[in-house]
Amino acid sequence: MNWQARRLRAVFVAAPALFMVATLVVPALGGLADSFDRGGPSLENYAALARDPMFWRAALDNLLLPIASLALELAAGLAMALTITARARRSPVLEAAAILPFAIPEIVILTIARYLLMPRGYVNGALAAVGIAPAAWLAPRGSLAMLSIVVVDAWHVTPIVMLMLVAGLQTIPAELYEAARLDGAGPLAAFRYVTLPMLAPAIAGAAILRGIDALRIFSTVLVLTGPEAVPVLSTYAYGQWTDAQAPRVAMAAAMVLALMVTVFALGGALAVRRWSSDLGARA
Amino acid sequence: MKPGARAGRGGGFAMLGAALGAIVIAAAVIPLYLLAKQALTPELETFAWPPFWLPRKITLANFAQVFTVRELRGAIARSLGVGVVSAVGATAMGAMLAYAMARAGAARRAGFAALSGVRLLPMLAVAIPAAAMLGAIGLADTPDALGLAIIHCAIAIPTAALTLYAAFAAVPAEVEEAAWLDGASAVRVFLTIDLPIVRGALAAAFILCFILSWDEFGFALLLQQTNRTLPPLLYYYTVFGNVGPASALALLMMVPALCVVIALGPTLRGALITGGSR
Repeated sequence: MNWQARRLRAVFVAAPALFMVATLVVPALGGLADSFDRGGPSLENYAALARDPMFWRAALDNLLLPIASLALELAAGLAMALTITARARRSPVLEAAAILPFAIPEIVILTIARYLLMPRGYVNGALAAVGIAPAAWLAPRGSLAMLSIVVVDAWHVTPIVMLMLVAGLQTIPAELYEAARLDGAGPLAAFRYVTLPMLAPAIAGAAILRGIDALRIFSTVLVLTGPEAVPVLSTYAYGQWTDAQAPRVAMAAAMVLALMVTVFALGGALAVRRWSSDLGARA
Repeated sequence: MKPGARAGRGGGFAMLGAALGAIVIAAAVIPLYLLAKQALTPELETFAWPPFWLPRKITLANFAQVFTVRELRGAIARSLGVGVVSAVGATAMGAMLAYAMARAGAARRAGFAALSGVRLLPMLAVAIPAAAMLGAIGLADTPDALGLAIIHCAIAIPTAALTLYAAFAAVPAEVEEAAWLDGASAVRVFLTIDLPIVRGALAAAFILCFILSWDEFGFALLLQQTNRTLPPLLYYYTVFGNVGPASALALLMMVPALCVVIALGPTLRGALITGGSR
């Protein structure tokens, strides 16, 4: 019976694994090979990237946008998680509203955001109503457009950060707060010396998961500003594939992005591991 | 600490919390209200400046247009088809993977590593070569969008497996052993003992995978350039005009996801808040 169960498990792992390799990994490896190909092995596709100022802009934006997004999403997610868990009575309306933006399809969020932020949209309309001059929220190459992208992205995904942090907050034993209170700690001190250290693993986990997604940002930029107004690596590769008809240069750009994501994820995982083993050694 | 000082500070935090709560509710409600307003009023009202905050004339013309234009009807049917096919496949394969992971340590470690590894692939690094490969076997941009369904199935397997893993792990080993002693084969035990026990999780995995496919934009944009599904179609409607139908379509696209949130609401909120007493 045991060998039979073992064989079944082997098949159950192999079948989905082979399917995912064939549909996701094989294309990615084919793309990797394409990125080194110009009618023969060549670095020309990467050299073409290095010559293109737009690529360097995209690479830079692909660092700035994720940093800004992560900072805003972690801060807002923490504030929302604390607000929800600190309430004496549960508020179903608040909880539903806090999760709602994530339940809306991304493309719908982006559609709404375009109508809100367009030159004669609702945001400028609201500003005009209180006597503030309208702003060009999505104007190409502006820092304002980058800000719009960061805020819209955060609007959609902060609920997930919040859920992760709420889960982390719930693992903190109430006795720690009681002990801190008996030691004379006010709410701010309790937050600084109990909540933040205990929540650090959840914050690190959320930062890694959200960071990976933030590096791969594509649809928010494409829908709000078009592929080249605020270029990131994904939209740059998309532009090379569609408009420039240069699929191999597109693949080279996609591979640069894949490298960035992998370095970030492995670096993050290593940092968390070293840091938690440090904590373990100290304890 | 003086009682008065503590009360003052607590009051400050309460006000801050109330303000934050108000912002959260406004950020969820106001944009949706404006979208619904645009969907239900004639296009001319949407282009007014300064913008109308309240509807002046209610009409269902935008929804009628969504259902009469063939391109839109086709996209709705296509999105439903891709969602169901990919969710069935992903739930089946996710169940296999999750079962093996729940029963064997080696499969568990390999499974978690592989599932998180898949997350690292940028969508474009897969989608651009995949478009060429699907084209080579005649599955790129077909009217039934089978190629897209295959890709959606693959990217949904981790979601299904992670949803089902805990359910399979919770099935007591004794239940399986009893069936083995009765002479049932390993496949039979899986099909007749484990699957019925985890049927609730199977339903949840199917729904999550369906939503993932229904919402997915990037692969759909690159793989279905003429026979579009809903997200890329909405993108073209949004970027190239047609405010009324785009708003109506956007509103319709939210229906499946909102049903799930309302249906799963109590469990979701229960998981969110239980034990959070401070």
